[in-house]
Amino acid sequence: MPRVALFIPCFVDQLSPQVGIDMVQVLRRIGCETYFPSEQTCCGQPAFNSGFWDEARPVAERFVRVFENAEAVVCPSGSCTTMVRNFYRDLLADSPLREVAAALAGRVFEFSEYLVKIAGVEDVGAEFPHRVTLHESCHALRELHIQSEPRKLLSRVRGLELVELPHSEECCGFGGAFAVKFGMISAAMGDAKAANVDSTQAEYVTAVDPSCLLHLEGILRHGKHRARTIHLASILACESSREKGAAL
Amino acid sequence: MESASQSSREAILARIRAALGTSAGAPSAPVAAPGGIFPPIPNPLERFVAECAANFTELTVTANRVETVEVLARILHELPAGEIYVQDIPELRELITRADGKDVTWSSQGPPAEACQATVTQAEALVAMTGSILVSSLGCGGRGSSVVAPCHIVVARVQQLVPTIEQALALVKERGLPARSSFVGLITGCSRTADIEKLLVIGAHGPRRLAVVLQQ
Amino acid sequence: MRGTAAQEFLRQSVEKTADLEHRRIIRWNIDNYDTAVNRGKSRFADWQAARDRCQQVKREALARLDDYLLQFEKQVVARGGKVFWASNSEEARNYVTELAVARGVKRIVKSKSMVTEEIHLSPALEKAGIEVWETDLGEYIVQLRNEPPYHIVTPAMHLTRLQIAELFRAKLPDVTADDHQSLVAAARRALRKAFFSSEMGISGANFIVADAGMIAISTNEGNGRLCTSVPRIHVAVTGIEKVVPRLQDLAVLWPVLATAGTGQPITTYSTLIGGPRQPGEADGPEEFHVVLVDNGRSQLLADPEQREVLHCIRCGACLNACPVFRHVGGHSYGTTYQGPIGSVLTPHLRGQDFNHLSFASSLCGACAEVCPVRISLHHHLLENRRNAVRTAGQPWKEGMGFKLWSWAMRSASRYRVLTGLARRAARILYSMGYEGSWIDPAAAWTAYRAAPAIPRQSFRQWWESQDGKR
Repeated sequence: MPRVALFIPCFVDQLSPQVGIDMVQVLRRIGCETYFPSEQTCCGQPAFNSGFWDEARPVAERFVRVFENAEAVVCPSGSCTTMVRNFYRDLLADSPLREVAAALAGRVFEFSEYLVKIAGVEDVGAEFPHRVTLHESCHALRELHIQSEPRKLLSRVRGLELVELPHSEECCGFGGAFAVKFGMISAAMGDAKAANVDSTQAEYVTAVDPSCLLHLEGILRHGKHRARTIHLASILACESSREKGAAL
Repeated sequence: MESASQSSREAILARIRAALGTSAGAPSAPVAAPGGIFPPIPNPLERFVAECAANFTELTVTANRVETVEVLARILHELPAGEIYVQDIPELRELITRADGKDVTWSSQGPPAEACQATVTQAEALVAMTGSILVSSLGCGGRGSSVVAPCHIVVARVQQLVPTIEQALALVKERGLPARSSFVGLITGCSRTADIEKLLVIGAHGPRRLAVVLQQ
Repeated sequence: MRGTAAQEFLRQSVEKTADLEHRRIIRWNIDNYDTAVNRGKSRFADWQAARDRCQQVKREALARLDDYLLQFEKQVVARGGKVFWASNSEEARNYVTELAVARGVKRIVKSKSMVTEEIHLSPALEKAGIEVWETDLGEYIVQLRNEPPYHIVTPAMHLTRLQIAELFRAKLPDVTADDHQSLVAAARRALRKAFFSSEMGISGANFIVADAGMIAISTNEGNGRLCTSVPRIHVAVTGIEKVVPRLQDLAVLWPVLATAGTGQPITTYSTLIGGPRQPGEADGPEEFHVVLVDNGRSQLLADPEQREVLHCIRCGACLNACPVFRHVGGHSYGTTYQGPIGSVLTPHLRGQDFNHLSFASSLCGACAEVCPVRISLHHHLLENRRNAVRTAGQPWKEGMGFKLWSWAMRSASRYRVLTGLARRAARILYSMGYEGSWIDPAAAWTAYRAAPAIPRQSFRQWWESQDGKR
């Protein structure tokens, strides 16, 4: 039975815990043993993205130590996975933990890529009879090259009607601190995304990044759009006729 | 101004060398042909014909001298009244005479006048890949001869056709054009702009008509 | 963020993002561009291999930049041309202005050159009493409107045909109709007079070809050809980084530049110029001057992390791919170079005042994805941010905030306590209806978005409650 360490990003822990809960349920359903290293806090991305590399470094080093013995680490966020896999190399270039971090990078996976590429599973026994459209989160798409995995998983969800989102690869506008430092631009990008979602007449927009979804949910509600957001893990967690609502 | 230029020159070179960390560079790597980047061109003439149609070059393929003269005469006749400027080489002197060209200024007499209706030149080569004409100031009657008039007529032979831009540039080197000709250019269709609402308009500042008479 | 450039950017971007007409026009332009580029890419057997090749060529060029520039200079001089090396904007500007004045130049025609914008050449020439005519149609239009170019490749993409028609009717004598053809014809008539009455033509250069000793200029309109054929003096102004080692390199660079720039197989006029008119040539300028501009480029060359930024071939693809550019528009940047390349490059050329541009990005990476020479633009934005924090510093509140954050994140118990407190406070505030008010610490979020519902339980609290039910 594969043993999977759960990497639950700080904002998922605090603001979208249901995403983590649903991910755990799906992993167990496909036969993984999951555990949560409770010493974890944050991967360091907020400080790193804002240019505060010296403040981010000790947080990143801590992350590496917390997870260094895990066989596989699974995370329900493309951006946080990217931080560890792609950016720790630069951030920890002068750190004594450089090698450990590099080794760890090969064992950290975003949730959908873990299911499809590592566990080799596309049908997780999910049912979600709704019209859904997929937003392609930037980090997952361009940094981790995750494009087919979410689609494969969604195609096996019973009753789910997947509609292509126009300009699905365009950024939703979150971008971390950008969302508050340049709120007007961030909102305009979100509005453009919301208009595209409207055009699909989907009930739900999904993605592999909870940060995109937090931002989009806020935009959709604020602009009184019809659709609501739901993380891929929450769709996959829905079994047979027992439905789950949107993320808490 | 001269000494200021010299000192800046030395300063810039010094900064570049410091930045590169070496004063003698490594020999440049052998030129890798851009093989595999572009699809092969099995039939260059066919490709040239298709590309000319796409870039609005008016291409007429003729079988022999007689037909070439006929086509040239027709084009000249269609032009509005006015001067034509012709590259001064024996072949074109002969063709223009036979085609009954009137009101001719030759490239040996100077640059083309602003109001001339057409220019007539040969080409250094033709490029199938993009439907282009390769010209040079030395070999095609100067610079203005391929851009000043609203109509540019090129008289060429099929043997001048090369498949790719790469081969055209190799030809430029082979003929020693950089050393001998101050201008070399690749012309692909007529002048155009899409600066207004991205709508393509043919005929901006250069010729709005490029006619190539291609003799077998 | 500090300084007027940052404030001005914020002000303009707030205005522009609310301008729905602007958003519509730009979206339409870019959709057309995307369609054309996809068609253009299909002409390549292997577009990725083309990008690799272009990256390789530029790497080689920079690795021996001094040798290649000298190789170029030698041949230009042998043909009777002059090469002037300018350390900065001022030297470049002065050279061209003094030359024009010394030669009695009254009128100049200019083809498109971003470097001449960068060094603010036109104002200097005009101050010396010389008339300067922009001849690239987009540049001509914005010149008539007295505004800077909106985009490095399509300077007037923010204007509609009707706006341009109105402009032409006001400024040109014989504008008869409103359609695209007539407007272009009106511009042609006006500019033709300028071409044939100017003593000097100024151009840029897309590439400096070292082995041939020639500059390469790519245009569609023919204005570049006329600027460099008719006037008796030709001055080419270019950045030192434009070098390519061999003429053969253009076999890939020309099609790539055209494809990424406009979706064309190649631009109509792909021109090479190496000197003034040579003996035996029918026409051409009597004088040829090349001004090689450094202006901060050699400094960037010395930065091993960011040297590749000098690979840029100024195709404009990153601007078109950038969602931020699309929403704030080219003018909001307030810089010569806009979009992702502008944000990355400008602090190096103009200093700390422009650090804010590197923060005005969601780091989506679309720019790097489309860049034909594979510059990792979004990663360079991150590096610029780090450099900004280290050298210019950020607002002290932010610095304190991240120090506190770092301290909190280094202990699981501190993390739990602080986040627990924050969540409880947020739940209370929102339940009392203070969402979006001055008390709301997340007001910057809630100004544009509904606040998220704050969960009662964090994930780890749930996990602990599941103990034994693994």
